[in-house]
Amino acid sequence: MSPETAATAPREFKTDTLFINLGPQHPSTHGVLRIGLTIEGEVITKAVPDVGYLHRGTSKLAEVRGYHHCVVLTDRWDYVSAMPNNLVFCLAAEKILGLKVPPRADAIRVAMCELNRLASHLLFFGTYGIDTGAITPFLYAFREREMILDLFEMVCGARLTYNYIRLGGVMVDVTEDWIAKCREFLEYFKPRLDEYDTLLSFNPIFMARTQGIGCISKEVAVNWGLSGANLRGSGVNYDVRKADPYCGYDQYQFDIPLGKTGSCWDRYYCRVSELRQSVRIVEQALDKLPAGPFMATGVAKVPKPQPGESYAHVEASRGDLGIYLVADGQASPYRMHVKAPSFINLAILQELLAGRKVADVIAVLGSIDIVLGEVDR
Amino acid sequence: MIDYFKTIFSATSATCQGLWITLKYMFKPSITVQYPTEKLVPYEKFRGALLFDAETCISCNLCVKACPSVCIALENATVPDPKNPALKKKVAKVDWYSIDFGKCNFCRLCEESCPTKPKSVWHSLDYELVFFNRDEMVRCWKAGFSFIGKYWDRKTKEFKAPAGQISIHEVAPRR
Repeated sequence: MSPETAATAPREFKTDTLFINLGPQHPSTHGVLRIGLTIEGEVITKAVPDVGYLHRGTSKLAEVRGYHHCVVLTDRWDYVSAMPNNLVFCLAAEKILGLKVPPRADAIRVAMCELNRLASHLLFFGTYGIDTGAITPFLYAFREREMILDLFEMVCGARLTYNYIRLGGVMVDVTEDWIAKCREFLEYFKPRLDEYDTLLSFNPIFMARTQGIGCISKEVAVNWGLSGANLRGSGVNYDVRKADPYCGYDQYQFDIPLGKTGSCWDRYYCRVSELRQSVRIVEQALDKLPAGPFMATGVAKVPKPQPGESYAHVEASRGDLGIYLVADGQASPYRMHVKAPSFINLAILQELLAGRKVADVIAVLGSIDIVLGEVDR
Repeated sequence: MIDYFKTIFSATSATCQGLWITLKYMFKPSITVQYPTEKLVPYEKFRGALLFDAETCISCNLCVKACPSVCIALENATVPDPKNPALKKKVAKVDWYSIDFGKCNFCRLCEESCPTKPKSVWHSLDYELVFFNRDEMVRCWKAGFSFIGKYWDRKTKEFKAPAGQISIHEVAPRR
């Protein structure tokens, strides 16, 4: 090569792909998730989520524990919203045991699950702000979340792992005191939602950071089996509370917020809109709280159901949480399979991240809103 | 060019709106609790560290069966009735009772299953459970021990009072 051509020819850089680990100790992975990223410069060519760091084997453990014990195990899946976990196991076990839940217990269950959805979505709202570089909303969200956890502590004694919803009803009845305090909180909470919109949702910096990022089309969302706000953010109207009502959800008036493009912002705003709907549901549940017992009669201390199987699913804070339960006549389930929404939602990450910039990884991962306790179980 | 200034304007106005919200809260009293110096007392139903009373326990094993993580163990003992020691009739008492706080779920199933009145095992309001070694996690009770119990130190081979549990209420009001 002559000196002239060497000056004009494009310089041959030696480029190479680089493999980096995101996590398992990265604070923005919300737990212990490792993502193996293959990057070429700033662009991700391949992303492989690696799960299993928080595996505790609850479905295996359930095979040697009684039905009442399993409710305690369910607390540990989605530890930021444990009430729907308790509920889904109880629904499946009640189907198999043939228990009839009193209407008061149903209303209390609905109120508790929706309060828990508030707490869970507030945690998402705060941490998603942090993921995208806004720290102030986190402090505001946690202030309100603290009040919800106080409500839970008042009624069942725990702030995170409630063990409140039991086979055939709930652990203890709610008192008039508690209802008054809950109403007071809801009144306090409603104007706060507008503050959240000002602080984060419609902030142009935040919108520029999240709109048009990580778009999931309707077809892709359905094909990957997404559920919850991730599915509704893409515009698919599916909510278990409407599609397959449980605990008398068909008697409550509420809307299903839908997104348009399925971008990070749409998923985010679906959750923030769900906060308003959850407040509506809790108010209705408290208004029409029927009198009567809070626990069904005839719940055995050691239930031994007839051989059979049952499936129950609820709209948990992160999506469609299902339980498949097989009984063989013994005191413990023969098999308990958990269909965890976080695990299924996480799978789409490998497709979403490919071709994106490194800076978008946390924005996309945060918007999917996973909890690693539920991914690994 | 106009878009450029529009973007600057919208971002600045949004920042100002956000700062206005934070400014409103600046003059309100703080909700932060300065934890180590200032401590909250939990609600009455709080499920804190378990306490045990060896005097009332009848060693019926119900709490052992109710525990989902198998952290309770006990040994039976039959002793002369303390009310009428002259009689030959003996009553069931507990020889020793232990809870492994390393496994405990704090789920209240043991307390709910306890048949005695007042409860022999119940949740206190103590949320400050700190363990300096593994021996300390296994809390042990015998007749004459306090409700908080003691732990067996395997090195010195003696019962020691737990150092890491700060007692808020030794007897919870709901017992």
